[in-house]
Amino acid sequence: MKKLSVLVGVVCAVLFLAACGSGGSSEANHNEIVVWFHTSLETPEGEAMQNTIDRFNEEYEGEYTATAEFVPRSGSGGGYEDKINAALTTDTLPDVLTLDGPNTAAYAESGIIAPVDEYLTNKDDLLPSIIEQGTYDDQMYGVGFSESGVGIFYNKQMFEQAGIDLETLPTVDEPWDWDQFIELNETLHNEFDKPVIDMGFDDKSEWLMYAFTPFLWSQGGDVVSEDGTTAEGVLNDENGVKAFTFIQDMVKNGYSTITPVEKGFHTGEYAMKLGGSWTIAELEEYPDIEYGVMPYPTSPDTGELVSPSGSWQYAMSASSEKQEAAGALIDFMVSTESLSEMSLANSVLPASYSAIDEITDEVSDEMNVLIEQNAASAQARPLLPNYPQVSRIFQDTISDTTYYEENSDIQALLDDKAAQIQSALD
Amino acid sequence: MNIKKKENLAAYIFLAPALILLGLFLVYPSLLAIYYSFTDYYLLTPNDINIVWLENFIAIFKDPVFIQSLKNIALFVVLVIPIQVGAALGLALLINKQRKGNIFFKVAFFSPVVLSLVVISVLWLYLLNPSEGLINNILLNVGIDPQPFLSSPTQAMVTIVFVSAWQGAGYQMLIFLAGLQNIPGEVYEAGKIDGVNKWQKFYYITLPLLKPTSILIMITTLISAFKLIIQPMVMTQGGPMNATMTPVYYIYQSGFSDRMIGYASAMTVIFGIVIGIVTLIQSRVSREDDN
Repeated sequence: MKKLSVLVGVVCAVLFLAACGSGGSSEANHNEIVVWFHTSLETPEGEAMQNTIDRFNEEYEGEYTATAEFVPRSGSGGGYEDKINAALTTDTLPDVLTLDGPNTAAYAESGIIAPVDEYLTNKDDLLPSIIEQGTYDDQMYGVGFSESGVGIFYNKQMFEQAGIDLETLPTVDEPWDWDQFIELNETLHNEFDKPVIDMGFDDKSEWLMYAFTPFLWSQGGDVVSEDGTTAEGVLNDENGVKAFTFIQDMVKNGYSTITPVEKGFHTGEYAMKLGGSWTIAELEEYPDIEYGVMPYPTSPDTGELVSPSGSWQYAMSASSEKQEAAGALIDFMVSTESLSEMSLANSVLPASYSAIDEITDEVSDEMNVLIEQNAASAQARPLLPNYPQVSRIFQDTISDTTYYEENSDIQALLDDKAAQIQSALD
Repeated sequence: MNIKKKENLAAYIFLAPALILLGLFLVYPSLLAIYYSFTDYYLLTPNDINIVWLENFIAIFKDPVFIQSLKNIALFVVLVIPIQVGAALGLALLINKQRKGNIFFKVAFFSPVVLSLVVISVLWLYLLNPSEGLINNILLNVGIDPQPFLSSPTQAMVTIVFVSAWQGAGYQMLIFLAGLQNIPGEVYEAGKIDGVNKWQKFYYITLPLLKPTSILIMITTLISAFKLIIQPMVMTQGGPMNATMTPVYYIYQSGFSDRMIGYASAMTVIFGIVIGIVTLIQSRVSREDDN
């Protein structure tokens, strides 16, 4: 009986929620728009978003009004996207929504979001990687409101202990190539006789796609062809083999490990870490570690510096009947002021040139290395409707590569994975 | 006649809540899944669903990851059932004998069942950590090299088998215990008069009388073993080299990360048939034993 009443309660709750859901977008007034954010109002990011909305409502008083709804996503990205998917079936999307960069193609292809080019007053100010990430079929659908980046974090004390002159380390203008980087690892490895860099190989997630594609790109390889139709002969070409051999050598030679100690860099276990802009915020809690940041190493064949990028973006839903207002809001949310506020509040990289100028004096040297590297070399991940599958197969490829005994034949591994990606594309 | 009709009506009224809920949450979704398995349903275009007939099924049989996941789950089931059921029976026999402190042991062995599988998985993740974990430290102290456990393609699934058996055995233990306590004392007394030893007592009296309980336990354990998803999701993400990818996990990924509801539904249908066949064979085999 108790069970039954619980079930009845659940059914009632479901019906009640369903009834609520239909009230998602108000059709009452053409000047009132609704925005969905993927974060919580409690976070610095959410606060910055709410501030921006408040400023928008002040600036456009009497003309437009925006209301923000915060739908926090869970760790794996659920929650928020579940709500979007549910709104799709009931046609109750808000006027403006946020979406992750790699989702642009799928959302645009499915006709969920509308192009926003005509509403952007200062598109040229946005970083090339932001434009690249938001553009599908030559139209800009999503506008990133921050950037992210990855660099090589190094422990200054451990470097000095190994006799490395910190003055000689690479910069964004003069990065090191893989050979020089391997030499550095060898020096450290000889000194400490254990793995010296945590590259996050145990993090079997988007990280493996995001942080390791730059090695492939620097070599001149790619995951899929530019038009997004072919993987066979692209991923598994000679550039792919070279890049993946470099990654495998990092593990095979004992420089990196597939089972790193948690927070190993933070506690002085490893001399280096492939870390993101968020690592800077984490390291604030470990004041004993003196660290610096250097750019990605480059392929010796090309010398081209490539770094990862990507972030969440603002977009306009295609079903919105208030596109003028929605467009005005998006334009306002990516103004220099809004983007600078977002970067400072949330310790993320700025998304536009003018925002970089605005905040560069207010952030740490380490952050500035990442900002500089980002502006010079960031590349967006491929824009594909079936990105999730392609990304997962690529993640598997990186992960499999680190098992060097089982996968000593890189060409065979890449042939196999390229075929899998190909069947995902077809 | 009239009374019978009335009784029938009453029966249906009493059945209605269960039938409605079962229909709403079991039959209806199952039928939908079968329907979707013949379509190209893409999560982002819910208003544009086309029938593609067998296209999904043909693609699935060429999908190396799905085939690998079937092999993985077969290995898991074959290993986990004897270990888990054996452990459960062993624990039940121990507790059944031990009258003092009986409740303490029951609670101790049952507690992992009550804990969330995610919590269990995270705990074991720490215990099994190759460099800092407790288990490797113990091994090191007795002179065994640290084992990679979850990061080794050959050890990962076996490790998950042990974690799962450890977590689940408490539940079957309770059922076995109930079965043991249902065996009438006279049978053992009769055996005593006939002069059976301990082993004969177990083999000729306890085991045959536990048979109905064992069949129930085998079938329920088998079906729940097929549904393995949380442990690999939390502990290995299906790796290394897809060694712990399971069908349910892959279905989840295809449906909700890749957004291919049609494809995922087709895998669900295939996997449902596989489980159905295995269960059918199992219940046949145990019934034949009876005769």
